[in-house]
Amino acid sequence: MDQDWRRIDIDAFDPESGRLTEKDLIPPYPNNVTLQDIEPTINQLRNLASSGDSISAIKLATSDPPYSGDENVKYQYFLAVMTALSQVKQSDITNIIKQLSPKQQDVLIKYLYKGMAVKETQKQGGVLLAWFEKLTQVAGINPVVHYINDRKTV
Amino acid sequence: MSSDKSIVASFKLVKGPIYSHCFNADRTILAITSDTNCLVYRMNGTKKPILHATLNNHDKTVTAVDISIHGRIVTCSQDRNAYVWEPLSNGTYKPTLVLLRINRAATCVSWAPNGYKFAVGSSARIIAVCYYEQENNWWVSKHIKKPIKSTVNCVAWHDNGIILAAGGTDGVARVFSGFIKGLDSKDAVVNSPWGAKFPFGFLLKEFYEGSYINDIKWRCNLEQLAFVTHDGALNVVDSQNYYAQVDSPEGLPYRALTWINDSSILTAGYNCHPVLFKFNGSNWAFAKNFDKVANTASVGASKKAGPPVVPQKPKSFNTNDDNDEEPQSFGISALKKFKELDLKGTVTTNKVEKGAHDNAISELAVFYESNGNVTQVSSCGLDGEIVIYSI
Amino acid sequence: MSQSLRPYLTAVRYSLEAALTLSNFSSQEVERHNRPEVEVPNTSAELLLQPMQIARNENDQVLIEPSVNSVRVSIKVKQADEIEQILVHKFTRFLEQRAEAFYILRRVPIKGYSISFLITNYHTETMKTNKLVDFIIEFMEEVDKEISEMKLFLNARARFVAEAYLGEFVY
Repeated sequence: MDQDWRRIDIDAFDPESGRLTEKDLIPPYPNNVTLQDIEPTINQLRNLASSGDSISAIKLATSDPPYSGDENVKYQYFLAVMTALSQVKQSDITNIIKQLSPKQQDVLIKYLYKGMAVKETQKQGGVLLAWFEKLTQVAGINPVVHYINDRKTV
Repeated sequence: MSSDKSIVASFKLVKGPIYSHCFNADRTILAITSDTNCLVYRMNGTKKPILHATLNNHDKTVTAVDISIHGRIVTCSQDRNAYVWEPLSNGTYKPTLVLLRINRAATCVSWAPNGYKFAVGSSARIIAVCYYEQENNWWVSKHIKKPIKSTVNCVAWHDNGIILAAGGTDGVARVFSGFIKGLDSKDAVVNSPWGAKFPFGFLLKEFYEGSYINDIKWRCNLEQLAFVTHDGALNVVDSQNYYAQVDSPEGLPYRALTWINDSSILTAGYNCHPVLFKFNGSNWAFAKNFDKVANTASVGASKKAGPPVVPQKPKSFNTNDDNDEEPQSFGISALKKFKELDLKGTVTTNKVEKGAHDNAISELAVFYESNGNVTQVSSCGLDGEIVIYSI
Repeated sequence: MSQSLRPYLTAVRYSLEAALTLSNFSSQEVERHNRPEVEVPNTSAELLLQPMQIARNENDQVLIEPSVNSVRVSIKVKQADEIEQILVHKFTRFLEQRAEAFYILRRVPIKGYSISFLITNYHTETMKTNKLVDFIIEFMEEVDKEISEMKLFLNARARFVAEAYLGEFVY
């Protein structure tokens, strides 16, 4: 099928087409985060989560996510965030969300959506949905609207 | 109809959506877009305006309309064309095709304040600035191409008639020079903070926001620019890199905005009612909702919980969630419900009150202004309504 | 409504409401065309927004793909065993064959999902957005119930048939 010249998208080869690709949409980052850069944060995150200091853990997780990292960096960080999220007691969720800034809430929702999209973490759907519900109770629809328009992915 | 005091008048003019509307200078003529036509009405106080002309040269959806200070109407459409309609003494309009030279839809149009040229935004990633050429008796255009990367959603002229602001789906608000030699004079932009040189099409400034820009408007005496974006934000910028952003309190994005005075901006959009933002000396902040429906559509699980009481159901179908299905309807009740919902739109939510607009507001325009202070604003919506609000 | 269903539907509701902010958008690629950008290949990337996947578990999912002028909503209906698979297939096919009566129903679901809806700006302009959302939510609520009812009915019928048939051999 790919050999079929009728299906070739000619415009894609035209530099004048002016079409924006997915790459063009990613805002420029000052530097690209590597796994080494993010390692300390991940460890700190895991420590906080296992020590039961969930407020600090979630705050840390949502303050500076590795937007500029490659898929692997993002994935490692994401796994750490998932661990932190699942360690929090149901009754504490609302309280934690209330202490997050709107920016942090926007980051949180990205991880919630990602958690539900990735196969390995879909099993925790119940936990993520509980977070989601509490988040929308506190912040309304705003984080969702921000999420669909934001080109910075986690 | 809502009993909100802020509504001066509200007219249901057409069935379909109104993407754009415009009043003439003395507010006696109203032009709206309706499908492939532009309808021109004569205002009739607070009574329903009287249809007085149908401008029907377009063969695709008309996307925007504007009236110049001289009463000329310009319409543009997804059929790639724009027409200028000259009012004749017998009440009809004489169309002149504008040579836009674009090969995609025209999306927005705006007359320069002096009424001698206008700008058309398009899906061809082009802004066409059009002016009248005496010798040939037609409207010609010059293109601004670079560096626009996607559809232009909105254009706005500065009061000086030279500086042009535009925003679109590439998420960047840009300020261009729309200087036309032989038509404009350099005197208008002396000491402008936006730049020193104004060759046509020159990019004076750009502001990256990232999400679609739905509408953009100038506040010329402050040299400030406000725009609303699809992530639900209102942004205010100026030439000196001042950048303020405030989030919609209800979250849903805005489609339109208009300045009320130096320190207030009215916005409206998918939440179906206008919202006022005020500058409090250091920040922009939400100030007031107009015509907000108390128990509106909004979100939340609470209203879905519990047995909903459905007032005046047209038929006695038992569709309450909590009741077990009767044996007869066993097996196809979801299908029936699906069908019923589809055909009659009956749902198990109770709506208490209805606002003036019951679908998204697509454009706001100044209706009455005195001393730089707007007291009345008109709006058009996807529900085919024109509403005039008093602020 | 069961405990775990509520947050699921809430998430879908919020996501849909945010996604249903559509505008009339003419194609940038093809002259004089106006097409749902979420459905066309090779489109400009900026016209597609971030997709949202909402999952209760591996079997119960909704994928919402927003774009500038259209939203595609795909639902994966719970299918615990082979009977349910067949029932879901029959049920969704029944609806899809009558898609024109349902306006927003897509004739073919996207890969990996049981049923898809396509909502364009024409729908949001002619129908109330919150009712569209209600419609999808209601559908999701009902479809599970429906499938399990159909399964019970099928089993009851099978039992009856078996009894009637085997009853022949009882003295």
